Amino acid sequence: MGKIKGTLLPFSALKYLGKKPHTVRYPLETKKIADRYRGFHYNDIDECIGCGTCSTICQNDAIDMIKIDGIESKKGDSGLRPRVDNGRCCWCALCIEMCPTGSLSLTDKFILTSSNPDDYLLVPGVDNPEAKDNISFVKDNDITLLNFNRVPMRELEGSERIKSFAEVVLGYVQEEARQEAIRCIDCALCVTACPAHMHIPEYIAAIADADDKLALKYIYDNNPLPEMCGKVCTRQCETVCAMAHKGDAIAIRWLKRYATEQFPDPSIVLEPKISDPNGKTVGIIGGGPAGLSAGYFLALRGFDVTIYEALPKMGGMTFAGIPKYRFPEDSLDKQIDYMKKIGVKMINNIRVGKDISFAEIKEKYNAIFMGIGFHVPYTIGLDGENLNGSIQAIDFLREINIGNKVDVGKKVVVIGGGNVAIDAARVARRIGAKVTILYRRRVEDMPADWEEIEGAEDEGVNIITQGIPLEIIGKNGKVKTIKYGMAEMIPDPKGGRPRPKLIEGDEHILEVDTIIGAIGQEADYSFLTEEDTKELEIERGRVVVNEFKQTSMKNVFAGGDNVNRTMDAISAIADGVKAVEGIEKFLLG
Amino acid sequence: MSGIIKQEKETTLYLGPQHPGITGNMMIELKVTGDTVQRGKTHVGYLHRGFEKLMEERLWMQCFPIVCRICVPEPDPNEENLARAIEEIEGREVPERAQYIRVLVLELSRLTAYLLWMGGQAGSAGLYTMPQWTVGDRDYILDLFEELTGGRVYHMYIWAGGVRRDLPEGFKGRVLKVMDYLEERLLEYDRLLFENAIFQKRAIGVGVIDKEKAMEWGVVGPPLRGCGIAHDVRRDEPYEVYDKLEWEVISKDGGDVCSRAYVRRKEIDQSISMVRQVLDKMPSGPVYNPGPNPLKWKLPVGDSYVRTESARGEFGYYVVSDGSLRPRRVHVRGPAYVHGVSLLERMLPGMNIADVSFIMNSLGTCPPEIER
Amino acid sequence: MSDELKQEQEIARIIHTTFKTAEVDIKRAGRLSIKLRSDLLPPFISYLRDYLQFKHLVLISCVDWIEDNEFELVYHVYSYEKKIHVMIKVRIDRENPKMQTILPFWDHAGTYEREIHEMNGVFFEGNPDLGEFILEDWDNIPPMRRDFNTVKYVNEVYEWRKGREDKQDVRETISKEYGEIIPDFDSEEK
Ligand SMILES: Cc1cc2nc3c(=O)[nH]c(=O)nc-3n(C[C@H](O)[C@H](O)[C@H](O)COP(=O)(O)OP(=O)(O)OC[C@H]3O[C@@H](n4cnc5c(N)ncnc54)[C@H](O)[C@@H]3O)c2cc1C
Ligand code: SF4
Repeated sequence: MGKIKGTLLPFSALKYLGKKPHTVRYPLETKKIADRYRGFHYNDIDECIGCGTCSTICQNDAIDMIKIDGIESKKGDSGLRPRVDNGRCCWCALCIEMCPTGSLSLTDKFILTSSNPDDYLLVPGVDNPEAKDNISFVKDNDITLLNFNRVPMRELEGSERIKSFAEVVLGYVQEEARQEAIRCIDCALCVTACPAHMHIPEYIAAIADADDKLALKYIYDNNPLPEMCGKVCTRQCETVCAMAHKGDAIAIRWLKRYATEQFPDPSIVLEPKISDPNGKTVGIIGGGPAGLSAGYFLALRGFDVTIYEALPKMGGMTFAGIPKYRFPEDSLDKQIDYMKKIGVKMINNIRVGKDISFAEIKEKYNAIFMGIGFHVPYTIGLDGENLNGSIQAIDFLREINIGNKVDVGKKVVVIGGGNVAIDAARVARRIGAKVTILYRRRVEDMPADWEEIEGAEDEGVNIITQGIPLEIIGKNGKVKTIKYGMAEMIPDPKGGRPRPKLIEGDEHILEVDTIIGAIGQEADYSFLTEEDTKELEIERGRVVVNEFKQTSMKNVFAGGDNVNRTMDAISAIADGVKAVEGIEKFLLG
Repeated sequence: MSGIIKQEKETTLYLGPQHPGITGNMMIELKVTGDTVQRGKTHVGYLHRGFEKLMEERLWMQCFPIVCRICVPEPDPNEENLARAIEEIEGREVPERAQYIRVLVLELSRLTAYLLWMGGQAGSAGLYTMPQWTVGDRDYILDLFEELTGGRVYHMYIWAGGVRRDLPEGFKGRVLKVMDYLEERLLEYDRLLFENAIFQKRAIGVGVIDKEKAMEWGVVGPPLRGCGIAHDVRRDEPYEVYDKLEWEVISKDGGDVCSRAYVRRKEIDQSISMVRQVLDKMPSGPVYNPGPNPLKWKLPVGDSYVRTESARGEFGYYVVSDGSLRPRRVHVRGPAYVHGVSLLERMLPGMNIADVSFIMNSLGTCPPEIER
Repeated sequence: MSDELKQEQEIARIIHTTFKTAEVDIKRAGRLSIKLRSDLLPPFISYLRDYLQFKHLVLISCVDWIEDNEFELVYHVYSYEKKIHVMIKVRIDRENPKMQTILPFWDHAGTYEREIHEMNGVFFEGNPDLGEFILEDWDNIPPMRRDFNTVKYVNEVYEWRKGREDKQDVRETISKEYGEIIPDFDSEEK
């Protein structure tokens, strides 16, 4: 019985003969493709920075980074762009998940047949610009393989900080440093922006591997003052970090700081190989970062080096300018001691042009390196500026850093919006004053580091923006008040940054004990004789040099603030290193 | 001939490597007399891609696009296994919602695998309408996968720490619609195949696995349950959220092709029910617990063996980490390894030639997971 | 230890009474890892299977610890009743890798042994069928050994497609462009 039923049952399928089939029919109906479909690639060429992470993660070796007409390399962009071999790609989209900028995506296009293997090579975004409208699989902002959040840095509380000059930033411990280092995708775009072109991906990878010694070796390879940089560097590298496009840049500076802080005596790890003396002597004027770096590498290469420094201590502005709560003195000492070990001779308290003449120095050495920095402040140009109680930020900072007492009274006004102004303000806070910063433009226009501005605010510094100082009013030869006027911002018709313009009648008065000017510095070339100035080419306050930092006086090289425009420690270091190459070529051929 | 039965000569017959009754390429060297198999030997190697070796030379994250390719009809247990093995070594938690989604994916993929099996089982019995239907209906599930994961066949969706994306808007409704549709279709399938006298005649008492020996021979999955032994990894060693669903292990005595078919047929119903339960119970929340940057992702030293119940039985991954960026060893244990080689070779003697691929199908022989 | 590991602890205890040198590690509920001297394997397997009812041979793996000059054979055995998975790990010399077959205990062990013989070059004494399995006419070192490098092999044996020679390495491009010389400390040390 069951058998008969079982035999007949299948015939019920016959009813489907009359039904409409569920397959796609001719004329071809196109099926709606899912929103997340993973088809061929598309790349937003302008967003892409050529970091090559897509190529690294692709387990099929399907992505090549290639040079493309019309795309030039620049800071933060390798100038390369991905090309996908669709003969190898499996559309796993790991490249999409790993793309730090989100420029790469997959589209809903997936049909390609050709007998020519070259047809399968696609430069996304260049070969298929129209695919922009077909983007389907994109990077998700929440579910991401990359970690866009920086390991936070521990700091002293604002109220705690102003009690002393103790270092504000506390530094990473090993676990924190490793976590932060692991975030790095090793793309090396940071190297493009670092003036010294430090081996950043290499040392970060070493920290991630818990090999701090290796990290230190990479770090010292082309920067002899890394602990200084680890604390105060302007970190141009971080501004171009691939991770900064969608999140926090890798804390490159803090990682460098971490690595250098692990070793009280770097020489034990580095075991520097010092070349045999080559019989050549070099005299260095100025013991700032530029002079020290040049001295270090020259000594390593067998030169007999002597640094002449006017101040009682080496370090230049990093000693005399940068406050101790950012760059403690023992950290500087550690680096100077290491250099002495290498054989760099250092003489303090001797000013070239006063204690010894420039001519004498030139005579004494086969070559000269000049890294004298900018130590003469600009004046504000106000009435009353010569009154007692009107001082200059760099003078103020230098006195404090040398260890002298400065009485600024109870109320301080700092004029300016750069890092020097902020430093002066925060130092004044620490010696007990109520501090106001007076700045012509808006906060976002301040050249100072945002972290510094925040730090100042945390410490209770009052910032008046769009305030233009008009007059310093004194009593009995001492400053009493300062008059300033409010400004409105006038947009620049040429698209430049807006200009402040005084609003008539909107004037205010501040009571003040000390006014600190911080609007810039210039170099002191007074040690040059008239003869020298004819021979040594100086343009708008800066010594003119060639690629190897050689000046128009063949045996004189120069670098640092008195040469470059970036005016920071790392640029000075880079100059010093570059000059070593020049001096070597010049003296040894 | 004149009706005298002669002493028959032994002939060698090569079944495969291309054969419609085999999913993928593999060859069975049969020694036959007349149409009776005397003995046979499985030859593999046509699909060897060396995935296990490749993985040793890849970053952990890069292994995910590889493993799904070990099994075409049902790639997801591979992803789930690898993810879970890594999570176990690492001690990484998986958000609950992700676990539900994983079960959803695994059950949907079981359905696609069973639909393919059904077509293959019917096709190898000469019933060719079935494969047309089941392959067509499988595509409705592939549509769901396309929507969820961006890929139809290889999903690359489950990864360590969770899944790659949350469910798209309105996905639940569309899954339920496909489930309703499938349930209706199952009635037709029953008429066409399972209640079909031809099928039953071919299947009952054929390809019998001895219940006493089954476990000793390493039989797993539906073939084991088809011997009346109720073992299912989902119950024995519950993973993800299988212990939060309501279901019973299905088994049937007999050990033949028919009881294996019965088990699978019932498990289709069960999977549909599980899909519904999962969609119902799924909590909201994150679907991914992030890990380190894949380029610098090291696992601690350690090893783990994890298993899932795939449509063909116990699928396992033995993963060894030496603390570096890459696996020291990833060993994939597919059920077909045992079913398609030692078990099949043991069952072949005495079999009718016409039954070989029919029985292979019911054992779930799948060459790509034998050689990986 | 907690109650849930009672069964595992009990098994570890029983094993210890007979196999004093076995190092039993309870990895988690349902997972035991046992390190064993290689010559003890066959009696141990027999003990586990027939006395402790571990009836299901799941898998035999081979891990190459090339730095120790050893192979580790991992026998995965499962008990459906106890729901416990045991990994028995024995180390053997890599120079002359030999192991006794466990075919007498499980028929399908032969396939695993055949594959390990082919892929790692471990010889299983007493297994009559260690013939070619997956590979065909292979004349290189067994490919699952760590010292077999697939990329090197591919470069020697196959040709790459033409048309991709213009690819560049991002790191190299950058260092070249900016005159950065990346030191190689690793090779310096050697
Ligand atoms: C307040 C302040 C904060 C700063 N903060 C930062 C910061 O956070 N990060 C950063 O990267 N940079 C910072 N800078 C800038 C940085 O300190 C300088 O760019 C860097 O020190 C320049 O190095 P240098 O070697 O060119 O010159 P300097 O560091 O200025 O060194 C020049 C040295 O030459 C000496 N010298 C000059 N003339 C003579 C002479 N005739 N004879 C002998 N010696 C002479 C000077 O006494 C001085 O020690 C800061 C600067 C200031 C003023
Ligand atoms: S989708 Fe996957 S396979 Fe294709 S290029 Fe990207 S990473 Fe490579």
